[in-house]
Amino acid sequence: MAKAKPITGIDAQATTGVNARIIARTRLEELELWGRYAHDPQRSDELHDLRIAAKRLRYTLEIFADALPPEIAAITAEVTQIQEELGALHDSDVLMALLRLCSQQAERAEGQVQNSHAQAVAAQHEAGKHLITDIALVAHLLDADTAPAQIQRVSLQHLLESTKQQREAQYVVFREHWDSLQERNFQGDIRSILDAGQ
Amino acid sequence: MQNQFSAPCAAIDIGSNTIHIVVARCTPTMLDILADEVELVRIGESVTATGAISPEKLAATLTTLHAYKALAEKHSATPIFVVATEAIRQATNSGDFIAAIQRETGLEVRLIEGMVEATLTFLGATYERAQEKNAPAQVGVMDLGGGSTEVVTAKHEQITWRTSVPVGSGWLHDRYLPSDPPTDDELNTATVFLTTYFAGMPIKQLPPVLIVTGGSANSLFALARRAFRLDKTPMRLTLAHILHCEGLLQALPAAEVAERYQQPVARARLLPAGALIIRTMMTRLHLPEIWVSPHGIREGVLLAYARYGEQWPRAIEQLAEPSGNSHKSAEDGPQETTQDEKYLHYGRRLLADRTEKLLEWREAVLKADDSESVHKMRVASRRLRATLDAYEAICDAHTFKNIYKKTKDVADVLGVARDTDVMIQNLQAQSAQSPVAEQAGIQWLIERLQTYRQQQQRVLETFFKKFDEREFKRQIEACLSKEGVRHGKS
Repeated sequence: MAKAKPITGIDAQATTGVNARIIARTRLEELELWGRYAHDPQRSDELHDLRIAAKRLRYTLEIFADALPPEIAAITAEVTQIQEELGALHDSDVLMALLRLCSQQAERAEGQVQNSHAQAVAAQHEAGKHLITDIALVAHLLDADTAPAQIQRVSLQHLLESTKQQREAQYVVFREHWDSLQERNFQGDIRSILDAGQ
Repeated sequence: MQNQFSAPCAAIDIGSNTIHIVVARCTPTMLDILADEVELVRIGESVTATGAISPEKLAATLTTLHAYKALAEKHSATPIFVVATEAIRQATNSGDFIAAIQRETGLEVRLIEGMVEATLTFLGATYERAQEKNAPAQVGVMDLGGGSTEVVTAKHEQITWRTSVPVGSGWLHDRYLPSDPPTDDELNTATVFLTTYFAGMPIKQLPPVLIVTGGSANSLFALARRAFRLDKTPMRLTLAHILHCEGLLQALPAAEVAERYQQPVARARLLPAGALIIRTMMTRLHLPEIWVSPHGIREGVLLAYARYGEQWPRAIEQLAEPSGNSHKSAEDGPQETTQDEKYLHYGRRLLADRTEKLLEWREAVLKADDSESVHKMRVASRRLRATLDAYEAICDAHTFKNIYKKTKDVADVLGVARDTDVMIQNLQAQSAQSPVAEQAGIQWLIERLQTYRQQQQRVLETFFKKFDEREFKRQIEACLSKEGVRHGKS
């Protein structure tokens, strides 16, 4: 997850309205930065960063709603929707990563007793992604004592396939929404609202 | 949004006492009402008695909704919005009730929270007066429902304070005023209860004008108009009018009130409670008179749709809690708008408020199986972090680093539990629709996640038992000094 962009130009003695606009513009820039990856469904990490950027913008607009023009409420609603669409996508990514790890490890560890924590670290390292931050959960799922039986492993494979399809559908929903916002110059609208209220 | 009237759309609200429909053509600020009907179903009666919505009340609701749907279709109204309020929120079987409505009528019901209800009601109740040349700058709106009462205060159409309390005319009747007509003893007890309850409402800036909406207020106005030969407009009731109405309602049984003043009997039975709530609120707000509005939540829904389009529910949720400080006027009053308030001053207030909001969930989170509280506390932690992010530039660097890490630790420990809850919930939902081939795997995964979640509950308990609230609050306060430091220009 990318760190929040530092805010510069804040004046402690200025009005909340003035500073709120500076922060909102910075958060909007972050959204635009990660928005460059919106058209690539495989860029899971970047789409996750886009989600975080949407969340930061949303919280900024919420925190300072009283100091910004009322039109910002509809904007906040759209940003929240984008964040939730990307959240659903992320949930599927995490589940798919877990299912892959369970499947790989169960095959590999069959008949062997291994340290599940070490397995988890290794498995996540192999996955090469940063999606699953909770290593303890991976270790818990890969515990050899409670490993899935053959029938459950096959079933998990089916679940992985259907989750992939679900993820594709979720991406389409997000993408269509994102494109519709770009078509109507959503970011430009936000800037106009922020500029107009000053 | 354009200022031309839209094609007709409809809004239905299912309340504790009534089910009400409005069909209208809309602009963001005005409605052209084509149909407006109400049915007294009193769903709240069975909820107060048993905690659940009875089959009879469900049947009555379905009959009403079928008729309303036909009415909306007659006007070619689309979409048709349906919102449900307090009685449905309280009912133990609200999920089944909503599912039955969707199944039988095809109407999708949106269950709304008290603050959202208050905001929608404010929009609906004030839109006509807001168009007037001499519209008051400050106004209060009270929506007296059957199961709850929402109070909103606003200045220049911006909401400054709001609250929702679970006391309505149906509830007060069922709990305190069961006799017909109510006895002196019942009325005395109810008066003491209401006076005490309303005294606890932290309204600092008393509105000079109060608009009251809801079935009881409108019925009371209708009764007063007939009894005292008042004009149809303006819809205004003085304290003397209300006291006279109460005298009538205490002297006559509901059936006679209904016959003499052309009221439905079921409504007449609730009027003593409605009048008492209104009078007690007037006393609380030191007001000699009230305005009555026939409009409310339904009109608010249609105006919200006209203003915000498909995103209206979320926009209203955000308006209802724009910065998580809905009771801020209790502390600060609306004398200075946030827009003009000094950034530093607002930040100190905001950080204190966010911290309180975070910490108020601590006890609930320590109760096992309360996944909603974990979610709420995690959201509160994120909001506090976002506020800290916004103020980092003018915070003391060392204190900021410390408190930011502590806040992140809180968010992280809650995040693990919450993410697991979400995964379990998603899998459970998926399980209901999945083919047999996936079931064994889903069940295995759910069981493993549930075991993990139990472990995380113990982690949460250990974390929050050690958590020093006073120190946390102290550091929050210390990180943003009264002068502001570091990169600030001050």
